[in-house]
Amino acid sequence: MKSTFKNILHSPRFMVGFIIFVIMLLTVLIYPYFVPRDPLLSLGKGFLAPGTYFSVYDANNAPMYRVELPEAAANRLQSDLPESDRKLILDFLKAKGADTTGLNTSNEGIEALLEAWSANYDEADVKKSKYDGFSTQAKRRALSRLDTKLKSFASGVSMNVTRGDEEGAEATKVSGADFARVDQVANTISLPLGTDNFGRDTLTELVKATGVSLLIGLIAGTVATLLGLTVGLLAGYMGGIVDDILMFIANIFTVIPGFVLLILIYYSVGQEARGVVTCALVIGLTSWVWTARSVRSQVISLRNRDHVNLSKLSGHSLPRIVTTDILPYIASYVVMAFILQVSSGILAEAQLSLLGLGPKTTDVPTLGLMMNWAKLFGAYTSSNAWWAYFPVILVIALTSFSLNLMNTGLDQVFNPTLRD
Amino acid sequence: MRKILSLVLALVMLVSVVCIATAETATDLPRNETLYFGGQQWGPVNGFNALSSNMNNAMVIASNPRGSRTIMFETLYMYNSLDGELYPLLADGEYEWNDDLTQMTVKIKKEAKWSDGTPVTAEDVAATWDAAVLTKNNTYSGYSAYIDKVEAVDGNVVITTTLTDAGKPTNPLQVLNFLSATYILQKDWLATLAARNDNDAAKMLEDPAEDIIYSGPYHGYFANDQLVAFVRDDNYWGACDAMWGALPAPKYIGHAIYSDNDAALVAFTAGQIDVNQQFIANVQKLWEEQDLPIATYMSEEPYNICTTMPTAWYNMEIPVLQVKEVRKAIAMAVDYDQIIENAMTNQSPSFADVPRSVMNPTDGEQALYDHDAVKDLQWVGKDVEGAKKLLDEAGIVDSDGDGYREYKGEKITLNACCPNGWTDWQAAMEIVAAAGQAIGLDITTNYPEWSIYQTVFTKASQTEYDIFMYSPAGAEPAAPWSRVRSFMSSDFLGVDNNWSGNFGHYKNDRIDEIIAEIPLTTDDEKIEELYTEATKIYLDEVPSFSLMYRPDYFHAVNESVWTGFPEYEDGDNIPPADCTDGYGIAALYNLELIK
Repeated sequence: MKSTFKNILHSPRFMVGFIIFVIMLLTVLIYPYFVPRDPLLSLGKGFLAPGTYFSVYDANNAPMYRVELPEAAANRLQSDLPESDRKLILDFLKAKGADTTGLNTSNEGIEALLEAWSANYDEADVKKSKYDGFSTQAKRRALSRLDTKLKSFASGVSMNVTRGDEEGAEATKVSGADFARVDQVANTISLPLGTDNFGRDTLTELVKATGVSLLIGLIAGTVATLLGLTVGLLAGYMGGIVDDILMFIANIFTVIPGFVLLILIYYSVGQEARGVVTCALVIGLTSWVWTARSVRSQVISLRNRDHVNLSKLSGHSLPRIVTTDILPYIASYVVMAFILQVSSGILAEAQLSLLGLGPKTTDVPTLGLMMNWAKLFGAYTSSNAWWAYFPVILVIALTSFSLNLMNTGLDQVFNPTLRD
Repeated sequence: MRKILSLVLALVMLVSVVCIATAETATDLPRNETLYFGGQQWGPVNGFNALSSNMNNAMVIASNPRGSRTIMFETLYMYNSLDGELYPLLADGEYEWNDDLTQMTVKIKKEAKWSDGTPVTAEDVAATWDAAVLTKNNTYSGYSAYIDKVEAVDGNVVITTTLTDAGKPTNPLQVLNFLSATYILQKDWLATLAARNDNDAAKMLEDPAEDIIYSGPYHGYFANDQLVAFVRDDNYWGACDAMWGALPAPKYIGHAIYSDNDAALVAFTAGQIDVNQQFIANVQKLWEEQDLPIATYMSEEPYNICTTMPTAWYNMEIPVLQVKEVRKAIAMAVDYDQIIENAMTNQSPSFADVPRSVMNPTDGEQALYDHDAVKDLQWVGKDVEGAKKLLDEAGIVDSDGDGYREYKGEKITLNACCPNGWTDWQAAMEIVAAAGQAIGLDITTNYPEWSIYQTVFTKASQTEYDIFMYSPAGAEPAAPWSRVRSFMSSDFLGVDNNWSGNFGHYKNDRIDEIIAEIPLTTDDEKIEELYTEATKIYLDEVPSFSLMYRPDYFHAVNESVWTGFPEYEDGDNIPPADCTDGYGIAALYNLELIK
């Protein structure tokens, strides 16, 4: 026993998988103490990109410091009028056939560029003349948006801030060299993974969802393994009519594709009843078959061994023979099967939820549900929000990767033919 | 021998692959002559029978008062949701009512021709109505209560309305809907159809009618399970100066059949769809961030003209929902800004900009009621404290301390339902459920498949869905009256397969009087008074509550191939109706190939 554990701990594969898994588990357990926010709380509007957000309103009230940054002006210009905008201006001038000699997109050339723009751009004219490359609504509107932006710069860059809604509240004039320290702004929020389509903090949701998905995998794996083990042991040891009946049932389950069966059962359960536990139970109930079949074949080869026959002659009861004489011999196999069942349970939940058959969204987040909503709100198409689905995929991949690593690691330890 | 056999087999395979490949190209449409649509046709078509409503041929058979799709079959008039006017198509000039609104006369354009070259006549219109009466199709069920008969008199169409006991027309407004919703079919062809089906109504409606005679600019080219295509009829009568003065620009119209919204969206961004009708979350990112040649009707939020308001209906058969305070409390607690920002990604005006009423957010309808008179009844949303107070005062409290309130000793458990896959509605229902949880009502979401959903909420009586979504009447000739009716009229009580309104089965005698009175009222001040009263009742009783404003069409175009699509305030007065519906079809005549 001791040496087995030692062997396991010395298996690099197992240890890598185990460490990844433990890190994830610890994160799930510890994270809520640091960020006690409700994972389903909607913070803002739709998909917000990852980053730290601070309240502009409060920033104005934070102590101001004077910082003379030499590149401030250039940075500002770059942010106000990025390269793409300058190129758009130049392209438009060329398409219109205006004189572009001496015009370029460098910081120094901006003034000349803007002058040429205001001399040449006229919304009605662009619409009427249909310049090459600028005849589509999308392009014309891009020009129009740019024009609006440029006009707002022209009307003065400095910002007057008024705090409070009352009339007569004093306005503060803010200059380009006024800085506030981020940790002195009353309200800031860090969103390392941005927000999802409901404006919920993706990281907090992801941690909670990982926990829920692990729970689903664990319940599903336990149910599937226990069921498979019982059926396999009984069928294998007792043989005869019991074996026939049990294997008949198992064969039915094998013939019908498991996932289709899963969808059908889950669909008929109805959304009302679809909680986390139901979800896990249904997955467990449809995935026990292969455990049962492989346990059975192992038991068949065990049941005619001498020590089993001895037990039989000694008049030991069936439960006793099974638990003391057979189970220990296949325990290592069962543990590995359990790990794989957990992994496939997590994947099954993700698949189900992605099809819109997951647990109710208002109750808990799960990895599959997060994927489902990301898909529904075009996170990878129109909304362009990688943070809403990529980290989820990564967690799903990591979970099943770590579990599979642990499984192969164990296999190496327990299976003499695979030992180095 | 074996070598030869394998060689022959390989050759056979090669030939068949080549055959399949060439067969595929034979049905490919030339991109520069084809306008591709998206978001309308799901699944293969059943046929071309415009009399029937189960042909699943969305590109040519989609009759609706807000604008029928007149690609292949045409209506008398085309509705323009921008100005609310009816524009003549097969009809010539304006319709004329007699003084007591009991008879309408419509002239027929003498240029209008069928695809077989014969002229369209008033007889055809009369025959279309007779066929509707014979087959009891949707035209019949929609309008037989208002139209007594349609006859051809001296070459003109004369529509006689049905009369009430008092000798007044039941509803002249519905006759206007009839004008823009009904496809006119050829009398001779209808006779052929009746003859080959032995005048059997059910058989007539099931006939795929591949030989149907049409009057529109396009007809079926081919249809399979991947693509539905239509080709232009270059002899189309509408090319005459009295109508459009030209043929529509695209020679072909195509609609690929996609497996789901995502697939269609990917095709749209890749330029394989020119005109797309689907909700696209954060549509502005397509041009702002991805720099695609995609545009919506308006350049700014809400990007399209919102003409309807998806609504959460309360099922009045659920005892706890018969309590007015519960209905109002839920509606008060819902965070509408979040729905509009998150579910609609701001493609809807907010309720702060356009306060809730029975009107859609267009200026024309908003001017029809007195905003100040109903101010006290408005609610802003996200008012959890106010909602809790209202429930407390009504005696609906949590007496067993489980966090949920009870009604008559039982925990209040409600479901909030909408069809699965209807993204923005699902997100809205999530937010409604969250509001319920916040005020101590156990509301959870439920998303049945559309095929099931549609059979349940349209039943004359059901207790499966407690709070469920559907839209009231949108923009159409009879709006906003038709919307008031679809919100609250008891006309729909006890009606099975009810697609028209009052899905929650609400009853109020005063509102029924108002609904009966409005169509017969001509005095503008009186009309405003009636609409204001209707709004008051609606806001006070809360038989349902709108969750957002929404366009009838999510009109988005990709200008990779075609340009010249209608845009907001471009002076053309063409509504963003996907270039096909009602007066929106005028857009097809303005299209040009991109340079």
